[in-house]
Amino acid sequence: MLLETKEITKSFGALTAVNGVCLAVEAGTLHSIIGPNGAGKTTLFNLLTGTFPPTSGRIIFDQRDITGTPANRIAHLGLARSYQRTTVFPAFSLFDNVWVAAFATGPSWKGLLWKSANTYAEVAGRARQALADVGLIDKSHQLAREISHGEQRQLELAIALAAAPRVLLLDEPAAGLSPEETRRMVALVRSLKGRYTIVLIEHKMDIIMSVSDRISVMHFGSLIAEGTPGEIQKNPDVRRAYLGGVAA
Amino acid sequence: MKQPIVLLLAAVVLLPFVVRPAIASEIWIFAIFGLGLNLLLGYTGLLSFGQSTFFGSAAYVAGWLLKHYGINTLLALGIGIGVGAASAAVVGYLCVQRSGLYFIMLTFALNQLFYFTAYQWTSVTGGEDGMPGVPRPAMLGIDFKDPLIYYAFVSALFLITLFLMKRIVESPLGKILQAIRENEVRAEAVGYNAPRFKLLAFVIGGAFSGLAGVLYAMLFGIVPLEAISFVFSGNVVFATLIGGSGSLYGPVIGSFVFIWLSESMSTVWARWPLLLGVAFVIVVLFLRGGVVEAWHKVSLRFFK
Amino acid sequence: MLYALMGLGLSLITGILNIPNFAHGALFAVGAYLLATVAVAIGNFWIALVVAPIGVALLGLAIEYAGIRRLYAAGHDYQLLFTFGLALILSEAIILIWGPIGYSHLPPDILRGGMDLGFTMYPKYRLFLMVAAGLLVVATWLFLEKTRYGAIMRAGIENKEMVSLLGIDIHKLFTVAFALGAYLAGIAGALTAPIRGLNPGMGVDMLGIAFVVVALGGLGNLLGAIAAGLIIGVAQALVAAYWTEASTVVIYAVMAAILLVRPQGLFGIR
Repeated sequence: MLLETKEITKSFGALTAVNGVCLAVEAGTLHSIIGPNGAGKTTLFNLLTGTFPPTSGRIIFDQRDITGTPANRIAHLGLARSYQRTTVFPAFSLFDNVWVAAFATGPSWKGLLWKSANTYAEVAGRARQALADVGLIDKSHQLAREISHGEQRQLELAIALAAAPRVLLLDEPAAGLSPEETRRMVALVRSLKGRYTIVLIEHKMDIIMSVSDRISVMHFGSLIAEGTPGEIQKNPDVRRAYLGGVAA
Repeated sequence: MKQPIVLLLAAVVLLPFVVRPAIASEIWIFAIFGLGLNLLLGYTGLLSFGQSTFFGSAAYVAGWLLKHYGINTLLALGIGIGVGAASAAVVGYLCVQRSGLYFIMLTFALNQLFYFTAYQWTSVTGGEDGMPGVPRPAMLGIDFKDPLIYYAFVSALFLITLFLMKRIVESPLGKILQAIRENEVRAEAVGYNAPRFKLLAFVIGGAFSGLAGVLYAMLFGIVPLEAISFVFSGNVVFATLIGGSGSLYGPVIGSFVFIWLSESMSTVWARWPLLLGVAFVIVVLFLRGGVVEAWHKVSLRFFK
Repeated sequence: MLYALMGLGLSLITGILNIPNFAHGALFAVGAYLLATVAVAIGNFWIALVVAPIGVALLGLAIEYAGIRRLYAAGHDYQLLFTFGLALILSEAIILIWGPIGYSHLPPDILRGGMDLGFTMYPKYRLFLMVAAGLLVVATWLFLEKTRYGAIMRAGIENKEMVSLLGIDIHKLFTVAFALGAYLAGIAGALTAPIRGLNPGMGVDMLGIAFVVVALGGLGNLLGAIAAGLIIGVAQALVAAYWTEASTVVIYAVMAAILLVRPQGLFGIR
């Protein structure tokens, strides 16, 4: 198991957003987390990326307990995340967007103050690779705030890739995308399978079913089912939770 | 990007023929001050409204040592930079935990703390009367008493600091600070400890401010109380904004504009700060983006 | 008490409008000078006490309408520069109109002299000041807590979008809030005039303290501003009794110390 949570819980006062969730993600697989709105999926991601500490429970990454690691150390451990609401660096060029992410987890920060940013070849290489992976390499010099929403979602992903992480946490990468753009995003995610361990939150069932190795289903903060796509599809609890929501 | 450098060098050489060397020196000193502020304001997005804390502290400490212990110029500069950086570290540490309005207010309030300390500690600082009698010792055999020679020294230092600041903003640190400005949450998520980087920006900005402070004290031979007042902090913010906080050279242009404005107005009317206030208001209401951006717009239209 | 008044006004403005109001101290000074002028002109302190703050409030209205209104979207740097420029204009204008040397204005006969409190003689005017300021704070507090419009203002501090969605004219709210804050500053200034005397720099000193009060009380936290104002006022009085020169410095030093331990201030939420 590369990434695990043990009985992880997060309460905000009287509201328990995540309740004793156990997650186990094997290296190299794509593990999806699904559930109706408000199920606690993004909160779970926030816990994994150190946005806030859990109320109780543990997070284990590569056999090491990383519970309570602050957000700015998580990237250095090898976990990178993309967000549900696009959050990039608007005034930066696409290249700078990924460069800044690549530099953080680069081999060395030597020359932080005085070396020209252009002289870090390894970092630039990873940055270019990330843009190429998502298909935005031709637009490297455009500003992030000038590209379309769909392209910004791709950039969102590229920033996570630029860190050359071991685990990718993708929060609804297809959010707000047209059917054509969604198809491209799915192909992109599929191309990343195997190269990275991926934890994916998504609402669009067809995506989930086609790319996932395993699926965890959350409802009102708790885990209600876990298994292969086939098993989940046949699970009556899952069916019930989704009545009125997105059906398989 | 060779053009601005050529223009600047020309300005450095020609300026003392256009205005008095003392004023010319003041312009470059203020430019150094502005460069320090802009690392925080323009690049990191932190409106530090207490920069005179570092400027004034350095001026007082170095001035005191120059006056009573007769230290040499080089040491005075070094101490000024050190005091500027140290005071910035203290202030910065207290302030980077907060953001937005809180941050601005804190930098102001801490500035007041230093101001009132200077105001009350008359035995050392001379209070309202300032600390007169700051000498301008020779360095490496060069006598700085001649205003023109001191000007050459100051402008040389300015060029050096400009070069240093250029290196800094083009370095990874420059990118990281801007990333923090653009999207602090994402910058942290990507692996940067934002408060620590903000503190670093503070210290660097403080060092620059400290250097400017010592040069200022040596230029006028006195450390006035105003040098650590919030009005002075406001002046450098104004100068930076009017020059354009988005570019490296903005503070330099702003320094020209501000010093020219204040020098020409102060000889005419004792109540010139009123006009300064009016200038602030006009800039804010009509000239946002500053001179540099206005120039961009104009040149885009003419040179397209 | 005075500090509570100033802090309350500033907290209101910063909380609702979310701008750094560097002119708050200048408004205080204007209040003081207006009081002195009107009182001398009319010959009646009490009428002046009523009129002067209204003058300041009107000034506040004009400021908000002519300038601040355009700057809500502009970002803190420009708002700061604007209010800072305003402060400069106002303080220089004061010097222009009233001269650079401060002067003192005596309190009305009723309030002159001391009052025997049993254990000590206490200046009557100071008592009046405390009582008046206290009443004002309470009145403002009641307005904000009990009346419908006050509730709207408090809601505006919490969540501006909600308030405008509820159909309330957010611009009017801002204008009123600023005018109210200005009024509080003005009346604080007017009340101070007889004891502290008038000098053009009084605005700046007050501004710093107002900021300290708001920083300690929590931005937009009205009760916190009142409490912080009281605490600081008492603290300063205590320090002044032993080490007069350091009293102002100590305020700032204490603030720095508190914020070091509790960055959100004494009563702040975050």
